[in-house]
Amino acid sequence: MTLVHNWHLGRTMEYPYFESRPEHQFTAVFNINRCIACQTCTMAHKSTWTYSKGQEYMWWNNVETKPYGGYPQHWDQKILQMLWDNGNNPMEWFTGAEDKNETTAPYGLYNGDTIFELAQNKGLNQVAVGYIPDDKEWRFPNIYEDTAASEKTNYELGSSKDKESSELPEHKRWFFYLQRVCNHCTYPACLAACPRKAIYKRKEDGIVLIDQKRCRGYRKCVEQCPYKKPMYRGETRMSEKCIACYPRVEGKDPITKGRRMEARCMAACVGKIRLNGLLSGDYKKPDPKNPMDWLVHIHKVALPLYPQFGTEPNIYYIPPRWAPRAYLRQMFGPGVDEALDKYAAPSRTLMAVLALFRSTQTMIARFEVEDGPKIYESEVMGKKVEVYNDTAIGYASDGTELARIKVEEPTWESDEKRMVTY
Amino acid sequence: MLRGLIRKSIFLGSAFVAMFFIYSGEGFSQSLEQEATVEENIPTEEGLTVKFADTDLEGAADALANASSYTVNLQIQDRSFPNGGGSVPEVEIRGVHNGKDIFLGIRWSDATKNDRAIKHEQFRDAVGLMFPLGIVKISPETPFSPRMGDRGKTVNIWHWKADWERDLQADGGYEHMEDQYPDMFHDFDSDPHPCIFNKTVHDSVDLLAGGISAGSLLSLPRGRSVEDLNAVGFGTLTAQTHQDVNGAGAWSDGQWDVIVYRPLKTEDENDVQFTPGKSTFFNMAVWNGEDGDRNGLKSVSIRWRPITLESSR
Repeated sequence: MTLVHNWHLGRTMEYPYFESRPEHQFTAVFNINRCIACQTCTMAHKSTWTYSKGQEYMWWNNVETKPYGGYPQHWDQKILQMLWDNGNNPMEWFTGAEDKNETTAPYGLYNGDTIFELAQNKGLNQVAVGYIPDDKEWRFPNIYEDTAASEKTNYELGSSKDKESSELPEHKRWFFYLQRVCNHCTYPACLAACPRKAIYKRKEDGIVLIDQKRCRGYRKCVEQCPYKKPMYRGETRMSEKCIACYPRVEGKDPITKGRRMEARCMAACVGKIRLNGLLSGDYKKPDPKNPMDWLVHIHKVALPLYPQFGTEPNIYYIPPRWAPRAYLRQMFGPGVDEALDKYAAPSRTLMAVLALFRSTQTMIARFEVEDGPKIYESEVMGKKVEVYNDTAIGYASDGTELARIKVEEPTWESDEKRMVTY
Repeated sequence: MLRGLIRKSIFLGSAFVAMFFIYSGEGFSQSLEQEATVEENIPTEEGLTVKFADTDLEGAADALANASSYTVNLQIQDRSFPNGGGSVPEVEIRGVHNGKDIFLGIRWSDATKNDRAIKHEQFRDAVGLMFPLGIVKISPETPFSPRMGDRGKTVNIWHWKADWERDLQADGGYEHMEDQYPDMFHDFDSDPHPCIFNKTVHDSVDLLAGGISAGSLLSLPRGRSVEDLNAVGFGTLTAQTHQDVNGAGAWSDGQWDVIVYRPLKTEDENDVQFTPGKSTFFNMAVWNGEDGDRNGLKSVSIRWRPITLESSR
């Protein structure tokens, strides 16, 4: 094992390989608040990559209803349980000012065991803790769809502060949709687990792939990926996983004329919840004009999924406003409160960047905001919110303008005569 | 004198760097392997004698039944991550040759027959034989890693797989998803005569990518149950482009009986070659699919054992 820095945890941790970050990192921001679970992303994925024999059960992209849903069933409860039952200081975070650092520890310091550390501390003689879901657990990808948690869960969770923030006047019961793809982790557990080094992380864009010429179907990756995104294909006797639509990311699709293109599940998003792009390679020097860097590193409104697992996942989420805070902190770490404060009363830049979501299927490498007039003023949770009709402009990495969009969506009212004609 | 001092400092400096590398070996090798022991490079005294028998493939089983057996003790694989196995304490091996081919009969106890690897949670039973490539001397002074070989010290591995054996019996020489899940095209269909609409749709699509387009032996009918492989250390196991080993296996009453055979000599430079009257070494491993054994999770023999071929008459 070597020591590597995991900025999600705000500390170094044990990992079988040296820290080796890619030049750019494939990433996406999912705004959970906007998702309607139409599963268009899921079908875009399915019809592109997993429509063949042995892949029937495979959904590299899936949208599940939290808290009960999960594909494979109970994947996160099971891993959390392992950490909770056996790990040191499970789920313990220090979030004082002295534990934080703007770039290397933005959420604070995680004091518990990661999946790697737990395996080592317990002398399990493998790189991480994990399990292989059986075929019944894979069978119902959308089980518990739209099943709300009982009203009771709001009160059972934690202090009065938690209750307060989870209780919106209209909604006593809650659920939300969790969009899941491979996280193309900085420290992939699948890669660490593979005894053959058949899994590799690309230097140019951080995409994690299984070499189908090297794979021998041992399923150690299936066992040790905590997010359960490598999957075994019985027909070919080997494992497969999300490939981040890498031909599109490389710009091989002629539609974007050689420029990097968003993955299929991202570009297909009807609810405009997804923005797909690349993070700068050096997390200590985020580029404030790169929308991904800005959302994740600078504004910190988008958070990693289960950072405590220790793999430094690279898909980031804007948490839902209506779910209990304690549940959200368990899922997205202690950055939840700051992120939700910022999302509930959005800044001018955040409004502009959110407008860029799904405005183009070419990856936006740089954005600019042009000032517009103030159009709206309100108060949200005691905070004043002012909305300006600014213009967000997205550029490709070669400087080409890709999208120019105003914060206020333009609307037109049809002529009364037209209404009559129809 | 100054020149001497510079020379000395360069020497000491490089010695320091070398020691640093040696003592921080774990970090630099990026591996989770134990140090090799001296014992690993001392082959056992006793070994397998492969008798000459005037037999062909048909008579090989009988000839093997008459040959004396040699027992190889196995233990848990605890030298490289992930550790595991150890549920099979020993394996019995017999050998005969007819001057052209070598036949090895392998037998071990296994209460459960695991001969499929289609479901996520299914793992196969298997047995492996490992030989050093070329003519080698193995001793603590001339080490040859019994752990899948080493750089420049290639091993040749013959790997019999229970699911490959079962594939041989299947239509087209390969088991498909529907062999494991016979109702996969109409799982929720209550019609006693279900239409095969889904199946026709399914079959109209070419199999996409994955192991099939990679041309992996695992993913395609390969007409044999033994894989011919090479390795130069942990994690390097690679199937040969030229497959030369054949075999057959059957399970009954809690016991696997497997025969593997190959011509004594092959054209392939990556194959171990056998000469009557000469000996080389071998090591064995058994995988118990019921216990989830695969890759390094296996029962292994640690020390090399001699395998001696009797002169042809």
